[in-house]
Amino acid sequence: MFDQPSNLAPQVETPVTTDHKITAENVNVHYGDTHAIKDVNVKIDDKTVTAFIGPSGCGKSTFLRCLNRMNDTIDICRVSGLIELDGEDINHAKVDPVQLRAKVGMVFQKPNPFPKSIFDNVAYGPRIHGQAANKAELDEIVEKSLRSAALWKEVKDRLHAPGTGLSGGQQQRLCIARAVATAPEVLLMDEPCSALDPIATAQVEELIDELRENFSVVIVTHSMQQAARVSQKTAFFHLGELVEFGETGQIFTNPHDSRTESYITGRIG
Amino acid sequence: MIGGGRLIGRLHSFAGGDMSASTLILVLIALAALGFFLGRSRALASASGNAQALHSRPHFYGANAALMVLIPSLALFAVWTVVAPLSIKADIAQSVPSGLVDEGKSLDLLMTDVRNVAEGLDRAVVAGALTSDAALSIDTETTDVRALLGGVGVALGANVGPEVLKLAKTYRAKSASSSNIMTGLVLAAAMAGLAFAFLRTNKDFRARNTVEATVRATLIFAAMVAILTTVGIFFALIFNTLEFFQLYNWKDYLFGTTWHPHSGGGSDQPLGLIPLLWGTIYISLIALAVAVPIGLFAAIYLAEYASPRVRGTIKPLLEVLAGIPSIVYGLFALLTVGPLLLKVFGNEGLGWMQGASSVMTAGLVMGIMLIPFVSSLSDDIITAVPQALRDGSLGLGATPSETIRQVVLPAALPGIVGAIILATSRAIGETMLVVFGAGAAGKLSLNPFEAMTTVTAKIVSQLTGDADFTAPEVLVAYALGTTLFVVTLCLNVIAQIIVSKYQEQYS
Ligand SMILES: Nc1ncnc2c1ncn2[C@@H]1O[C@H](COP(=O)(O)OP(=O)(O)O)[C@@H](O)[C@H]1O
Ligand SMILES: [Mg+2]
Repeated sequence: MFDQPSNLAPQVETPVTTDHKITAENVNVHYGDTHAIKDVNVKIDDKTVTAFIGPSGCGKSTFLRCLNRMNDTIDICRVSGLIELDGEDINHAKVDPVQLRAKVGMVFQKPNPFPKSIFDNVAYGPRIHGQAANKAELDEIVEKSLRSAALWKEVKDRLHAPGTGLSGGQQQRLCIARAVATAPEVLLMDEPCSALDPIATAQVEELIDELRENFSVVIVTHSMQQAARVSQKTAFFHLGELVEFGETGQIFTNPHDSRTESYITGRIG
Repeated sequence: MIGGGRLIGRLHSFAGGDMSASTLILVLIALAALGFFLGRSRALASASGNAQALHSRPHFYGANAALMVLIPSLALFAVWTVVAPLSIKADIAQSVPSGLVDEGKSLDLLMTDVRNVAEGLDRAVVAGALTSDAALSIDTETTDVRALLGGVGVALGANVGPEVLKLAKTYRAKSASSSNIMTGLVLAAAMAGLAFAFLRTNKDFRARNTVEATVRATLIFAAMVAILTTVGIFFALIFNTLEFFQLYNWKDYLFGTTWHPHSGGGSDQPLGLIPLLWGTIYISLIALAVAVPIGLFAAIYLAEYASPRVRGTIKPLLEVLAGIPSIVYGLFALLTVGPLLLKVFGNEGLGWMQGASSVMTAGLVMGIMLIPFVSSLSDDIITAVPQALRDGSLGLGATPSETIRQVVLPAALPGIVGAIILATSRAIGETMLVVFGAGAAGKLSLNPFEAMTTVTAKIVSQLTGDADFTAPEVLVAYALGTTLFVVTLCLNVIAQIIVSKYQEQYS
C-alpha cells in the first residue's frame, strides 16, 4: 500500500523531506457542530519522541487519533486536511485503515488488555497480520515485545495467565508490548501513564526512551514534567489550535507564544 | 387509645356492621399516615423545633411510626386471613353429623358444599335478594335454596339439604364473628404500634437505624418468600411423585421406552419417560439450532454495525416480538408452517412426513419464537463490552469482524452462554406450541418429520379431563414435573459453572 508509486493524489507530488515521518497540513476536525481541531500543521520526525501537551479538551486526543484514522470509528467525526505518512496521504480512498493501523500503533489512556492470556494479548497483532510463519517465530516475537516493554521478567513464568490479572502498570506495559509486537513504524500513546502510580510511570517513561531507537513515538500527556523528561519535540495545543511547536527545551525554557508561557507556568489549566 | 373502641364501633357502623378487607387496609394506611405526622412532629417538638438537634432527620421518626403501625397489623391480618378459614372448617367438620358423611360423600366434598352455600348466602345478601335477617332464619322447608343461590350466580351441584344449610349457617356465623374479632385485633395492633412508636419518639431515639433495620428485614423477608415458595413447590412435587412411585415401578418410568397410558391401566401400562424426554430434547435442539445462530448474528449486527437509527427502530421491534404469547406461534405452526412443510416433505413431495404435526414444525417455530429473545439479550450483553477493548483491537489493525470474533465475543461469552441457557429453559418449558405443532404421541424416533410430544405437553394432557388422582396415569404428571424441575435445575447449575469458570479466567 505505502510502497506503491505516489500517483494517488496531486498533493502527494509536492516534495516531502524524508526525515519527517508524518506531516499534517491544515487539519480540521469536527464532531457534529463542534470544531475540535482548527488548521493544525505539524511535522513529526522519525526516531523521535514528540509530546502533545495542553489543557484538557483542547483536542490532543482527537488529533492523535487522526494519525491512525481511529476517528473513522466515530460516526459524527469529520476530518479534513492532508496527513501524510512517509509522503503518502493516509486519508486517500485507496488506503486501508486496517493496514495503516498496523503501521501506526496505538496505546490508550486506560490499559485495555483483551480477555485473553498474556501470550495471546501480545500475539494478537502478529497473528491477525500473519507476521509469524510458525510457532517458534511467534514465541520469539512475543518474547522480544515483552522484553522491550520491560515486562518479560515479571511474566515469563505465567504467559498463559490472563492479561487482565496483572496490576495496572503491568497491564499498560502489556498494552505497549502488544502494540510493539506488530512492528509499527509510529507508536501513538494517549496519556499512557495517567492510570499508573509513580513507579509504573517511571518504568513506562524509561521504556518510551528505549522505544525511540526504533520508532517514532507521539505521546499525549497532561504532565509537563513528563513531556520535558521524555520528549525531544513538544507541541502545545489550546482550544483546538496548535499554538506552538518546537524543541522541547525551547518550549519549556523560552516559549515564543504568551499562551504557552501561561500554560507552562500554570496560569492556564 | 381510649378512643380506640369508640373508633372501631364507628367504623363498624359505617361499613354496615362488618368491615371489608379493603376498608380495613385503607384505615390502616390512614393510621400510618397519621403515625408519620405524629412521629415527626413529636420528634421536632422534643428538640424544640430544631431539626439539627435530632439524632435522625425528622422524616425517619415519621417513617418509624408509620412502619410500627403497618407491620404488626398487616402481619396479623395476613396470618389471620390464612389461618381462620382453616380453623373454622376444622371446627365445623367436627360437628358434621356422622350419617351425612357415610352416604358415600367424602367429608371434603361436603365441606365444599357448605362453603359454597355460605358464600352464596353472603352474595345473596349483598345482591339484595335476601335481607341479612332472612339469611339467618332461612330454612329448606320454605325456600328453594338452590334456586335462590342460582339466581345470584352461585351454581350448586345438588339440592341443599337441611343439614347442609344448618352447617352453612354455622359457618357464616363463625366467619362473621371471626372477621369481627380480626378487625378489632388488627386495629388494636395498629393503635398499639402507633402508641409504642409515639412514646419512644424523642430527640435521642435512633430512628434512622430502626427504619434502616426494618427496611432490611422487609427485603430479606421478600427474598425468603421467593426461596421458600420454590422449596414448597419442590416438596409438593416430591410428595406426589413418591406417591406415584408407590404405584409404579421407578425403573419402568425412568428407562421405559414406550409411552402409552390408558385409564384403568394400573401399574402395567407403559409410562416410559424416554420418548417424552427425547421429544423435548429433539424439539429444543432444532429450536436452538435456528434461534442461536440467527439471534446471535442479528445481535452482532445490531450492536456492532447498525447505525443508531436502525438500531433504535429494530431493537424495540424485537422486544415486541419477544412478548408475543407462545400460543400465537402455536397457531402459526399449526396453520402455516406445518402445511408448508407437509407440501415439501409430505407424500406429495419427498414422502418423509405423514401429517402437519412434527418435531420439525414445532422446532422451527419455537426457534423463530426464540430469535428475538436470544438477540435482544445478546445485544445488551455485546453492547456492554467496553469500547476500550474494541479500540484496542482496531488500533492494532484488526478488522471489525476480527475484533468481534476475537475480542468482543470472548468478552461477552459468559453473558451469551447465559442467554442461550435461558433460551434452552424456555424451549424445554414450552407447552402450547408443542401441543399445536408437534403432536400428542410419545414416540421414540430419529425422523424429525415424525409427530412426537414433550414432557410439558404430556403433563397437561394427563391432568386435564376427568382426572382420577389415585391412578398412575394421572400421578405420572407429578413425576414428569419433577423430572422437568431436575433437568432445568441441572442446566442452570451447569451454566453457572461454565460462567464462573470463565470469569475466574478472565476478569
Ligand atoms: N466522541 C466525541 N464526540 C463528540 N465530541 C467529542 C468527542 N471526542 C472529543 N470531543 C470533543 O472534542 C474536543 C477535544 O477533545 P479531546 O481531543 O478528547 O481533548 P483532549 O484529549 O485534549 O483532552 C472536546 O471539546 C470534546 O468535547
Ligand atoms: Mg484526551
